[in-house]
Amino acid sequence: MSALEAVFRPGSVAVYGASRHPAKLGHVLLRNVLTGGFEGRVVAVNPSREEVLGRRSVDRLGEPVDLALISVPARAVPAAVEDAARAGCRAAIVLSSGFGETGPEGKWVEERMRGLARAAGMRLVGPNCMGVVSRLPGGWFNGSYFWRLPGAAGPVSLVSQSGAFGGMFFAEARRRGLGVARFLSVGNSADVELTEVLEWLADDPATGVVGVFAEGFRDGRRFVAAAERCTARKPVVVLKAGKQAAGARAAASHTGSLAGSHGAARAAFRRAGVIEAVDSDHFFDLLSALAASTVPAGPSLAVLTISGGPGVLAADAAERLGLRLPPPSEATRARVRELAPPFAAGGNPVDLTPQCPPAGFPAAVRAVFEDPAYDGVVVIDCGLDVAELGRGVAEAAAATGKPVTAFVLEAPRVEEALRAAGIPLLPSPERAVAAYQARVAVAPRPDREAG
Amino acid sequence: MAALSEWESKLALGDVPRPRERLTATAAEAVAFARTLGGPVVAKASGPVHKTERGGVRTRLGPEGLASVWEELAALGDGRVLVAEQVEADYELIVGGVRDPQFGPVVSVGLGGVAAELLRDVTFLLAPPRPGELELALAELRCAPLLRGWRGAPPADRAELTRIVAAVSRLLEEDEEVVEVDCNPVMVRGGRPLVVDALVVRR
Repeated sequence: MSALEAVFRPGSVAVYGASRHPAKLGHVLLRNVLTGGFEGRVVAVNPSREEVLGRRSVDRLGEPVDLALISVPARAVPAAVEDAARAGCRAAIVLSSGFGETGPEGKWVEERMRGLARAAGMRLVGPNCMGVVSRLPGGWFNGSYFWRLPGAAGPVSLVSQSGAFGGMFFAEARRRGLGVARFLSVGNSADVELTEVLEWLADDPATGVVGVFAEGFRDGRRFVAAAERCTARKPVVVLKAGKQAAGARAAASHTGSLAGSHGAARAAFRRAGVIEAVDSDHFFDLLSALAASTVPAGPSLAVLTISGGPGVLAADAAERLGLRLPPPSEATRARVRELAPPFAAGGNPVDLTPQCPPAGFPAAVRAVFEDPAYDGVVVIDCGLDVAELGRGVAEAAAATGKPVTAFVLEAPRVEEALRAAGIPLLPSPERAVAAYQARVAVAPRPDREAG
Repeated sequence: MAALSEWESKLALGDVPRPRERLTATAAEAVAFARTLGGPVVAKASGPVHKTERGGVRTRLGPEGLASVWEELAALGDGRVLVAEQVEADYELIVGGVRDPQFGPVVSVGLGGVAAELLRDVTFLLAPPRPGELELALAELRCAPLLRGWRGAPPADRAELTRIVAAVSRLLEEDEEVVEVDCNPVMVRGGRPLVVDALVVRR
């Protein structure tokens, strides 16, 4: 069993710092492991050997488990790491804080713990992290401080240099019904760092889409190599924090510093075929779109709407993102004219208008979907809750296999039909287009060998 | 940190498109060279950094004008004067190279000229660039239409631009001591980019 296999799919776990006091993080951690759905053996480690959550604890591990979770005060961490290493654990996650983030002394302790672990053949995740969450056949393995997990299992995995961002991730996943496979917070990365996790996720069959939250890259070129290998199989979406700090350093007049080091990161993402999110909303939008499907889409888009203004916003966004909005074919236009009111707009956006007779929607929608001018469709519906429209979109999407994203506002029946069809629903017209663009961004590029 | 002179920097860059130019050791040599160019020339003091700020660059000179400023420029620098054909640019680019602490050597291509710092229209490439990457990077620039040939002008010569980018990349790759390369300006005239000034900084 590899160390990251032990982190994400442990058969047995030890929790250091398991405490009886519900306010203590060690207590939260043990409770999370026990209640998440983990089916393996769990050993509670506590120097006072008290009973915690109905199980006896031990003061030393003494026997090997796959993964040690360490949540004890900083000064007690090295001893816990040593105990886990001596017992023969494959990996340890140190959730405790108070190390490299506090200064050079803490950095030195990290180094020492890493040496201790490595000498015993154990790998170290953290310190100063939120832990691991992983979907196993029996349920969630929650080796983290998070007590609210994603609602659904699915293809999205996240490796994060920020622990707190994991909380945002789980909240968004619940809100959007986004299915999650793995989460790991790498903290100070004393030993295991982001790139190594990315390498593991590339080979993980449960992971279909990889999200990366990064503040910096220890070895940028190794990251590029790992990400390139990963994007040949599954999309990688990166949210890079600290873009502006780099820009602020850019006062010097020479080109090299004009865009600061974020320019270098962008060059790296371009080479690796990684999709870079602009901000956290965009990041989750991209993950939602790619969780629905990773089949590449073409850039030729129909904006299909019953809402004039919001449809135009979508068209603006499409142009800004380099997508094409060709007019529908004459045949499509003729069909739409038969079904929709005479004032419906037969350009692109194709505006069927709220006055379109409900019975006309399925065929009109179908005509737009079937038009060979379009690789895909973005649906914009503000407030028209007509079941036929939702049904029409769901049926046309299924029949043509064309990629679709949608913005639906206060139209529960339409929303329900689209959701059931697996069509990603986004919170604004522009974001629906940006999410569509994610599917274009995963298309093979001429300068890269096809995955 | 040691900045190479313009001439040394250009020699280090090697085979990149440049204006016709020569480092002259006497006024007579300079004037004779200027006559072979047949048009106005630029004369630059050789050696000093920030030569423009120090009055070491004179533009649009004829042979007589060149003769009259040669001694003064020579005295500003190392006793020699760089004489080059005057290039009237349609627009200017900057091609640079730095070592990024995380990603190592990177090459940048951006819009130059007086508004360069204002517009900050610059794109980066990991060095050495792969085939096709320059095109993708250039497409990200806001000034991409300019490089494709704006208002009927010829497009910026990709092969020549590729040579400049490759030369900057090679300097960073081959010499660990090189910390910064700056081809500024790269003047584009009729689609042809020319490295008009260059600076290489070594550790």
